[in-house]
Amino acid sequence: MKILVCISQVPDTSTKIVLKDNNTAINNQGVTYVINPYDEWYALIRALELKEAGIAGDVHLVTVGKADTEPVIRKALALGGDEAIRIDADSNDPYETANYIAEYAKTIGYDLILCGKESIDYNNGAVGAMLAELLDADYIGFASDIQIAENTATVKREIEGGEETDISNLPLVIACQKGVAEARIPNMRGIMAARTRPLKVVTPAAVSAVTSILSYELPPAKAGIKLVSPDNMAELVELLHAEAKVI
Amino acid sequence: MSEIESVKAIKGGEFLIRETQADSIFIPEEWNEEQLMIAETCTNFLAQNVVPNLNRIDEQEEGLMPHLMEEAGALGLLSISIPEEYGGFGKDFKTSMLVTEKLGAGNSFSVAFSAHTGIGTLPILYYGNDAQKEKYIPKLASGEWKGAYCLTEPGAGSDANSGKARAKLSADGKYYLLTGQKMWITNAGFADIFTVFAKIDDDENLSAFIVEKGFEGLSLNTEEHKMGIKGSSTRQVFFNDCKVPVENLLSERQNGFKIAVNILNLGRIKLGGATVGASKEVINASIRYANEREQFGRPISKYGAIRYKLAQQAIRTYSSESAIYRASQNMEEATEMYEASGLDAIKAKLKGTEQYAIEAAIIKVHASETLDYVVDEGVQIYGGMGYSAEAPMDRAYRDSRINRIFEGTNEINRMLTVDMMLKRAMKGELDLMGPAQKVAGELVSVPDFGGSDDDGLFSKEKKYIANFKKAVLMVAGAAVQKLMAQLGKEQEVLMCLADMLIELYVSESLQLRVEKLVGLKGEDACKEKLDIMRVYINDAAEHIAKSGKEAINSFAEGDERRMMLMGLKRFTKTEDINTTEARRNIAAKLISENKYCY
Amino acid sequence: MSVIVLVEHNEGNVKKKNFEAVQYAASIAQKTGTTVTAVVLGTLANDEMENLGKYGAQKVLHVADARLDELHARAYTSALLAAAQKEAAKIIIALHDINGRAVAPRLSAKLKAGLVAGALSYPDLDKGFVIKKAVFSGKAFAYVNITSDVKVITLMPNTFQLNKVDGKATIEKLDVSFGDKDFGIKIKEVNKIKGEIPLADAQLVVSGGRGMKGPENWGLIEDLAKELGAATACSRPVADSHWRPHHEHVGQTGGTVRPDLYIAVGISGAIQHLAGVNGSKTIVVINKDPEAPFFKAANYGVVGDALEILPRLTLAVEKFKQNHK
Repeated sequence: MKILVCISQVPDTSTKIVLKDNNTAINNQGVTYVINPYDEWYALIRALELKEAGIAGDVHLVTVGKADTEPVIRKALALGGDEAIRIDADSNDPYETANYIAEYAKTIGYDLILCGKESIDYNNGAVGAMLAELLDADYIGFASDIQIAENTATVKREIEGGEETDISNLPLVIACQKGVAEARIPNMRGIMAARTRPLKVVTPAAVSAVTSILSYELPPAKAGIKLVSPDNMAELVELLHAEAKVI
Repeated sequence: MSEIESVKAIKGGEFLIRETQADSIFIPEEWNEEQLMIAETCTNFLAQNVVPNLNRIDEQEEGLMPHLMEEAGALGLLSISIPEEYGGFGKDFKTSMLVTEKLGAGNSFSVAFSAHTGIGTLPILYYGNDAQKEKYIPKLASGEWKGAYCLTEPGAGSDANSGKARAKLSADGKYYLLTGQKMWITNAGFADIFTVFAKIDDDENLSAFIVEKGFEGLSLNTEEHKMGIKGSSTRQVFFNDCKVPVENLLSERQNGFKIAVNILNLGRIKLGGATVGASKEVINASIRYANEREQFGRPISKYGAIRYKLAQQAIRTYSSESAIYRASQNMEEATEMYEASGLDAIKAKLKGTEQYAIEAAIIKVHASETLDYVVDEGVQIYGGMGYSAEAPMDRAYRDSRINRIFEGTNEINRMLTVDMMLKRAMKGELDLMGPAQKVAGELVSVPDFGGSDDDGLFSKEKKYIANFKKAVLMVAGAAVQKLMAQLGKEQEVLMCLADMLIELYVSESLQLRVEKLVGLKGEDACKEKLDIMRVYINDAAEHIAKSGKEAINSFAEGDERRMMLMGLKRFTKTEDINTTEARRNIAAKLISENKYCY
Repeated sequence: MSVIVLVEHNEGNVKKKNFEAVQYAASIAQKTGTTVTAVVLGTLANDEMENLGKYGAQKVLHVADARLDELHARAYTSALLAAAQKEAAKIIIALHDINGRAVAPRLSAKLKAGLVAGALSYPDLDKGFVIKKAVFSGKAFAYVNITSDVKVITLMPNTFQLNKVDGKATIEKLDVSFGDKDFGIKIKEVNKIKGEIPLADAQLVVSGGRGMKGPENWGLIEDLAKELGAATACSRPVADSHWRPHHEHVGQTGGTVRPDLYIAVGISGAIQHLAGVNGSKTIVVINKDPEAPFFKAANYGVVGDALEILPRLTLAVEKFKQNHK
């Protein structure tokens, strides 16, 4: 069984967003980039667990990005994985990204594709389901547990107000969240092996983006806080009712 | 002095009489991707496994620290530079220093880690025979066994060779029976393997033994109550006719003192690394708090008094770091040189390290005093919260203090710095006399008022540092001449000389680092680092002047004193710079990035 | 040539967020000079469907296949494609919720249509088809232009106020011939957590952090939540310490909430947590540390011990409810 894990490079969660070029771009000066946490902590680690358990054969990692994403890819390789593929393009349009990956995936034929439930930069959470459509496969989002046996996946996923257990044949695309696996720290062995694991650079397929980001905006600062005495909770309730009109 | 000798690997202590080329040193801005990944693993390990458990660690929760050590072992962090044949990763010294630095921010865990990987493992790795190494190293490397080191005794601290512990051969010749009391033994509570120093019979010098926890006759006292590093297990270890198989004698009989000294050389520079790591973390906390805490309607990081402290924390930390990695690289190069000359890897490593024992002692003092400065100002930046035991500065402040005491007190290390320098001169390994006489000659000749013909970016600082060397040579040379054999007893003079050497070495390391960096990245990208260099060297000149004056006044009189004081003034003269503005620039970047960013 | 909007339902009920989606679609239809067709999949009573007219839907296309009572993303996609084809729709709208997020990207991929996931505004037609959405988990907003002919939008719930109008939608059956693949995923088990308000939909949220000291004190959070009719949430350290289940974790690497009221108790307000909650209309912070960064992001603050303040606040809410019966 071959697994493909989709990883994307995102700014570290502690990043404070600063805009530049008349608010048309994010200032990446001083920004530390990491693997999207959902991709790393859950999708990648679960894929590695399946490999360690002898269920999966090869685990490949794919990202869509320019050369500057390679340190992050090698960090993913330090966690594990047999091979990484960098599709040499820069995109924040999920349609374009999904097509790039789908075109590559078709050339290999993966049984299972794992990704995070969304990336913490553009928060679309769309590439997984798009990939499924483009590869004529099923898709399960918001997964919290993945078990694979004999070409069948048993997946727990979040539904509104609860949880559902789905059974699906492979091939399948699953978007992962908390519960699927526990985050790991790359160990020395993996770090040293990362250099020797292949990182293929692939020219993107001919696809055009269907969205573009024209500009950015930062949230307005809160107008200022009103402090209420801890001894006067009735006042707080009254403020929430009469002033904020939320209760 | 003035002629530039391009000697690639200068010898230990030679910084006093030679110039170093900037491009020959290693600077931390050159870490490669793999090293940065290793560093990140350390940082993540602390964030996930150590920091959330700091209270439990300090309460010495049963089994927690050994468990953390095993987890670090599983990541490979206990065996970075252990050879691959013993289950390690065979990485270079700088990389293991980087790991020590990053884990240095882990408070008591850092102490347990350093003790295990340093004094707990290295004596066996460096001095053990094949059988001993095969038996002990793989398990120490993986963390399955934890190591400790028993040197200090109630009556023998800094004077280690005076210990009372004794070993005698058993009647059947199969065991050494070890008797004695060892004190302040780090990791004692959970260690499986102890390297114990004791004299056999009435030997003049110590021998070393590998003692397993389960050997009959070994017992532990209760945990010591300490000011800080409360999570580090520290106990007395008693040996009562403890049966140590003869094959567990480490190295040769009476070779123990040499082992102890050599291991300490490594321990000292490593301690420097760990304290720099701790300093950076305390600076991070200081900056974050200063940016968050508002008084009079503004974050306190907007106030000059606080900015001064933040800048000064960063200046001292960056300077210490510069010296640490310069010396680490030197040790590595010296090791390679010895290996190339035919020594086996481990002997080469020991000789290479010993070659830079002076620098190691300097670094130990400077970095531990930097951390003490950093935590002290950290508490101050936190204000009232700094004094609260619920805020992070409380632990940082208490945990810092031990660093000036263990691995040789800073006083011992200061004396060693001067002592080793003079011994090398006496043995003819280091030509101090020639340069010292030359400086003395300069005192009676017409001073060189002409500006340097070099008007490069670093010309001034290079000239200052060349002059600092003259200042040290002048004072040290005169002290030797005047005091002769008495110098060893004039500890106040030794302290002054050591302080001068420390400021010189660190200033030079810092200048070389920034020079190399500017060469790599250009001046514009290094503005704040140039400011760090200028402020540090400006202040170092004053420290050198003060220490020099104190020494001169203690042993010289009349014309001689006047002449030397004039010389000292000349050798420590720097152009006035606006250090306030420079510190503001340094602080501004820290504040805007909200973290230590140098 | 209408705008079509997917209307979900749950055990016979249509939730407020779906009315919001219909109203959103209606407004876009009005702007673009067309009409709105709601698409209802599975079993739903006629009056519930007609009721969508109150939010601007002229017509409902009903695919009355009971298998669609549960989400089958591919079947939903097929049904919406059929509806879009029938109506010659160029704009397709769903909610940015679990179901919408499984279906909308498939439609987008199928139709080569640009997708805006998590819309926070109506499209600005002067500049193209530009919609605002949150990026970097709420640390910034992006204005995204859809350049393709067909457009797919998922609307972030709780973004717009509802305004009822008079109206009654006409119902039209739509037959869709599904293939085997449309129901490829078998649902083995469904576990709904009874009595709890789903966090993502909650109008009111009470959330606890490490300042709650331990899981044994969570009764205080639950008491207040019950009194308010609020959902409960927590910060990452709390979920990591297993004081609370993972699904309650709110923040950049957990769930994002956008309630009317978010009460943060004993949460310091790290940037990652703020990212998950800063879409909240009103934020109340209760923390004993007056320097906690959360106070800077709050509308109302109470400085003091959470364990003492919570019972008082619960009592105050109870009294308020009695007075406003």
